[in-house]
Amino acid sequence: MESDDEYKGSSPSSRGSFSDSDGEGVRRGIKTANPASRNANDKKGANGAYAWEDEYQRTWDIVKDDDSGQTLESLIQNMIESRKKKIMKNPTAPYQRGIIRTLVVVIDGSSIMLEKDLRPNRFSMMLSLLQEFVVEFFDQNPISQLGIVLMRNGISDVVSDVNGSPQFHLDKIRQLRGKQHNRFEPKGDPSLQNALELSRSLLRYNFGNNINDTKNSKEILIIFGALFTSDPGDIHKTISSLVKDNIKVKVIGLSAKVAICQEIVNKTNHTSNNFNNPNYGVIMNESHFKELLMDCVVPLPITVEQQKEIEASKSVPLLKMGFPTKVQPTLSSSSGGHSLDFIQICACHSGSRTENGSDAAAIQQSSSVIGYRCPQCSSKVCSLPTVCPICGLMLILSTHLARSYHHLVPLVDYEEVPVKGSYPSSFCYGCLLQFPEGIENIHKDSKEKLETMSSSRYRCKKCKNDFCIDCDVFVHETLHNCPGCENQ
Amino acid sequence: MDEISDNTFIEVHGSDVSNDDPSLLTIVLEVSPEGWFNIKDQTSIMDVVKSLLVFLNGHLSLNNSNQVAFVLSSPAGSKFLYPDTSKTYEEIPLNVTSEETVENSNKSEELSFVTKGMYRQFRVVDETVLSGLSQTMSDITHAQDDKVTGSSRLSGALSLALSYTNRMMKLDQSISTTTASAISSAANISNKESSTAGASSGTNANSYGTSRMKSRILVVTPNDNEDIKYISLMKAIFGAQKMKVAIDIAKLGRKDSSYLQQAADATNGVYLHIEKPLGLIQVLCTAYFIEPSIRPLMILPTNSNVNYKASCFITGKSVEIGYVCSVCLCIMSEIPDRMSCPTCNSHFDEKLIAKLKRKPVVKKRKLDNGSSESSTPAPEA
Repeated sequence: MESDDEYKGSSPSSRGSFSDSDGEGVRRGIKTANPASRNANDKKGANGAYAWEDEYQRTWDIVKDDDSGQTLESLIQNMIESRKKKIMKNPTAPYQRGIIRTLVVVIDGSSIMLEKDLRPNRFSMMLSLLQEFVVEFFDQNPISQLGIVLMRNGISDVVSDVNGSPQFHLDKIRQLRGKQHNRFEPKGDPSLQNALELSRSLLRYNFGNNINDTKNSKEILIIFGALFTSDPGDIHKTISSLVKDNIKVKVIGLSAKVAICQEIVNKTNHTSNNFNNPNYGVIMNESHFKELLMDCVVPLPITVEQQKEIEASKSVPLLKMGFPTKVQPTLSSSSGGHSLDFIQICACHSGSRTENGSDAAAIQQSSSVIGYRCPQCSSKVCSLPTVCPICGLMLILSTHLARSYHHLVPLVDYEEVPVKGSYPSSFCYGCLLQFPEGIENIHKDSKEKLETMSSSRYRCKKCKNDFCIDCDVFVHETLHNCPGCENQ
Repeated sequence: MDEISDNTFIEVHGSDVSNDDPSLLTIVLEVSPEGWFNIKDQTSIMDVVKSLLVFLNGHLSLNNSNQVAFVLSSPAGSKFLYPDTSKTYEEIPLNVTSEETVENSNKSEELSFVTKGMYRQFRVVDETVLSGLSQTMSDITHAQDDKVTGSSRLSGALSLALSYTNRMMKLDQSISTTTASAISSAANISNKESSTAGASSGTNANSYGTSRMKSRILVVTPNDNEDIKYISLMKAIFGAQKMKVAIDIAKLGRKDSSYLQQAADATNGVYLHIEKPLGLIQVLCTAYFIEPSIRPLMILPTNSNVNYKASCFITGKSVEIGYVCSVCLCIMSEIPDRMSCPTCNSHFDEKLIAKLKRKPVVKKRKLDNGSSESSTPAPEA
């Protein structure tokens, strides 16, 4: 699309939406004092002058409490609490998950994706969210792989091959959105069957194959904007072959639920109930879209069937892995061994990848700088995780494994300290934030008010240390370590 | 000059633009009696702390809004020496009270180099750290033996440092939103909303990217002991990685520590094994003084070989080739005799173990893999 068109076409609506988004967080529970004056389309201001002659108004100052008596602070408090409750949903009992995942993301590139109900349009919104998703996915699933497939004009294209490097995918996504006249501009109809078949063939080849197949979870995530699919053949056959291959499909709909998607999801996930399937979500707004997408980041729990399988055989596979040493050949002159102009060539990129010339060249260049040496056969590979091309040993960084530990050994939740007159702690253990004082004579207050009050202290059940809400969220979402317990 | 213009450095070029943003420096000092005893011929805690205080003062003097923190990690547990919550720093600057505190707490030579005439911010930091340190030292000497000779509490100290860093980053963000102009603050608020929404569904790297406070952690440890809480240390490293906090390591003592090497490597920090700690202040000022924002532009001391060894869960030794339980990802250096995972108790597939144990089969397996690899992608076109 030409940028000029876009600008003209979207400018009035975007102005309108600005005034919307401006007060969005506030309007949910609170009436603004003078909504008319804030309407951008209404050029007359509150005092009769033009809007640009009007005095500058700080909209957040004229916010008025609504009838229910909720203040802005309490709303914010609620938001924080709801965030907190999201963490509470996290299971604290460890259970087996499919840690090594292979996921193919199918994105819709049909003409309906030019719809502007998401800003700037569905397609670019989806791509920017997808970029975040890719980063997050590899962050949480370091030994997993991802591929991206585009449905466009009745066929499906591989946008990026199944690969373990986030940067590779980000580059490919950038190519999709980058140019003005790119060949991936949304066009035509989507074809679910083509996309599923292509994804299925992509999923058949992944790096865990030769080690153990049951450990891999194969997944497809479809982001589907259209309400129809135009297929060359019988999609039901495709569905049953997906079921046979044990591939799980998740769908995120951008407009409404579609019966065929529901069927795909139900059959591949072996769920019978038609509605409220957690694997099929339709977005309500942008943040819900993001939420649905980010839900796919967390590794899937092992299904009941697989559990039975494991219990039946009473055994789990044991993987042999190598933890290679990082080598920087050109810099190791001090430690001896390599001379400075000695070119190192990795064992993993031979002529097989030269079909895409520029890519292979880039990889070769970086491989001459930093490599990893297989502990078993001392051959060099340039990226991890991988399977050693010489000896077949699975090579992995210990950090890759360790990144998944918090899924396996989740942290215990903190519990809120009940409101009391005084507390033993006056500072947050983690960040030294001063807690508010205890509130005396709480009996005078009504019960309702008691509920809105909080002690602002969250106590670890194990080490009995008190933390503030920020530390609580940080500890459970980012750090996954209780500072108190670590120091005991 | 070829070493200097090596393309390793060019690769990371231009990722950040350096500016005058404030930065937080957290020092984690490990005081394990054993480690310091081992290097008693070379240096003492007092010498090292003196150098560190000079280093902290240097950091404070770089920018008016720079912040420092000091965490002490002792076998009995970690704690903040600075900031100290039991003191209010507004009361210190009066000369009389500070002299009193100096005289009252202890008259030892420890505090002798903190003079009255020092710049106030320096003195506040120095006095607080030193008095806290001597307090901890006396606690350690009077403590029971089993409390002193524990394993390293470094992961706990790092967790403390990170949660403090997290607060400082958030705090700075809120300040910038109130002082910024109206439009940008409105934008910031909407940004914040979206970022909080994002953070609610899993961790969000972006929410840290917007903050202006730069921070880094410097770990000083003489500990040669490889007995470390591996999992929690790793978690702390990932936390730092996500927050883009560099962990610098100054390793005293005799050996390299492979886990700390990994920590520095994963967070773009500097790792140096300082074998001769006499000129520590010089090393600190040259290698560790560079702010993370301008690190891409500088040639940093790199260690060529980072050993990404993992730690065996059974023996605690580091492993190069190991076995990994597919349920709990527990790393083992050898196949346990019980045929079951030591942490999650799931039984291993006996056929697979037999396969792994047979020595010559390595060759045969390779053949098997080759054939299966070539055969899998072929069917179902």
